[in-house]
Amino acid sequence: MSALEVRNLRKAFGGLEVIANLNLSVPAGQRRAVIGPNGAGKTTLFNLITGWQPPTSGEILLHGVPLRSGRPDLVTRGGLSRSFQKNMLLDSVTVLENLRVACQAADRSRHSFLRSPASFPDVRRKARRAAEKMHLDNCLDRTVNELSYGQKRQLEVAVALCAEPKILLMDEPAAGTSPAERTNLIRLINELPADLTIVLVEHDMDVVFAICDVVTVLSYGKVLATGSKDEIQGNPEVIEAYLGKQHA
Amino acid sequence: MTRHVTIEPVAEQACDSEPARGMDVQRVLVLATCALALLLLPFISSEYVLTLAVEVMIAGVFASGLNVLIGYTGLASAGHAMFFGLGGYGIGIGTAIYGWPLWASVPVTLVCVAAISAVVGAICTRTRGVEFLLITLAFCQMFYGAAVKLRLTNGTDGMAGIPRPDLSWLGLSADGSIVFYGYVALVAVAALLLVARIVHSPFGSVLIAIRENERRAMAMGYAVGAYKIGAFTLSGVVCALAGILQAQYTYFINPDSMSWQSSGEGILMVIIGGADAVMGPFIGAAVFVLVKQGLSLITGEYNLFFGIFFMLVVAFFRGGVVGAFRTLIGKWR
Repeated sequence: MSALEVRNLRKAFGGLEVIANLNLSVPAGQRRAVIGPNGAGKTTLFNLITGWQPPTSGEILLHGVPLRSGRPDLVTRGGLSRSFQKNMLLDSVTVLENLRVACQAADRSRHSFLRSPASFPDVRRKARRAAEKMHLDNCLDRTVNELSYGQKRQLEVAVALCAEPKILLMDEPAAGTSPAERTNLIRLINELPADLTIVLVEHDMDVVFAICDVVTVLSYGKVLATGSKDEIQGNPEVIEAYLGKQHA
Repeated sequence: MTRHVTIEPVAEQACDSEPARGMDVQRVLVLATCALALLLLPFISSEYVLTLAVEVMIAGVFASGLNVLIGYTGLASAGHAMFFGLGGYGIGIGTAIYGWPLWASVPVTLVCVAAISAVVGAICTRTRGVEFLLITLAFCQMFYGAAVKLRLTNGTDGMAGIPRPDLSWLGLSADGSIVFYGYVALVAVAALLLVARIVHSPFGSVLIAIRENERRAMAMGYAVGAYKIGAFTLSGVVCALAGILQAQYTYFINPDSMSWQSSGEGILMVIIGGADAVMGPFIGAAVFVLVKQGLSLITGEYNLFFGIFFMLVVAFFRGGVVGAFRTLIGKWR
């Protein structure tokens, strides 16, 4: 059974069809990239999968269970978490608090309103572990506003990991980072557990090929090709539509 | 199905302890000073000062309730006077019309207001920003209009004869200014502690997450709609409590308590005091009541000068009085 399966997915905004009968199957533990030119429908696909937008038609299954659109919180609690293309963090609170609140969402303490968060040390410890995974443990008491851009991108991924997902969707995690920050981020993502299914949208082909085993190319809301790095790099349609000669 | 990224609890670390022990000591000192001032005030001040103190505390409870929404959830309501008024009308109807004892009227009023605010909140929290501001204002005007027309509560004339608590079993009369001051102080402190406990709980941290980034809070796995309704309901109930105190203070309630001006005054108190702290609205209420009172002693055009005062606070004290105080402490350190 696939970890993530998308069946005949369609999304239209009025007369504009952004996703057109798209089928996608991602086995558990696979690192899958979704690439394509601007307007190919990559972010819309992520928004549909994570429940932010309802599909016009089609079905999305997480480990065989249909996802309910319109409720991103339920999608996250169902085991599918995402990081965003633009930082979506709690800017004026500390790194630790960002992670603690994120970890708390998967804990029964989220409903507690008469006890202090300190009464739930497990949540705090999980937050610290998430920080360690993304090498943020040296800046736990700094507010997000005080972080470098690269650290903010790391925190984006760390917050998504707090939901203890089975599948992690990352929307351009390296966007806007410096070469050094990018290399660091790639290393950290590659250090994540091998059985975590990752679906990645990214424009930077170096990042894609450094992280992912399989690449799906979208064009005009349809799957143009799916295959390994070599297959994709050698596919004339993909070269023509997206990669260009430098990645061939 | 197994979860693939499990963030296992690790052994307790030294740094797992709460980081802000110093802040806790500071907080305890501030609270102890406030408690001492509250206790000493009746013995060192005139009846007039006690009256002002009662007004400050009632306004402080109202502003604290409003701040659960404005400061902690990031939802600026322009209609919370409806709950202030509903609190007053609730015990007015219960005690003066149906003849219920106060001990029954107060909880029934608070439960009814909780139910009403949950319903109003469920509708209002579907919007945000200016739309939220306007829809809360519209609800407030609706309740105001109903209070004006309702014959049961004497329309614009309002209801008189709302009783203060019967403390004869203690050999005390709440009609006396010192006893009533003590009663209001007890209720206000209890309300403030309740609000402080809730906003500093896991639930409160979700409200802050919603304020900071609602989409992120949703992506984390929170049903933000339910949390916003919860915050709206809590806010409404605390404002209603202030309305009950106000009705008991004046033995009277009329539709003016639900006017948009009353809602606006609540917002002013929150902004003047600082929305980012539990004590902020209380301090804002004190500044609001005292400055307004002081200006009214000097000039009949006190609203004009209060407007100028408010503009100065907004322009030069970002984060209100509490924000300015924090900045000052930061520089001093």
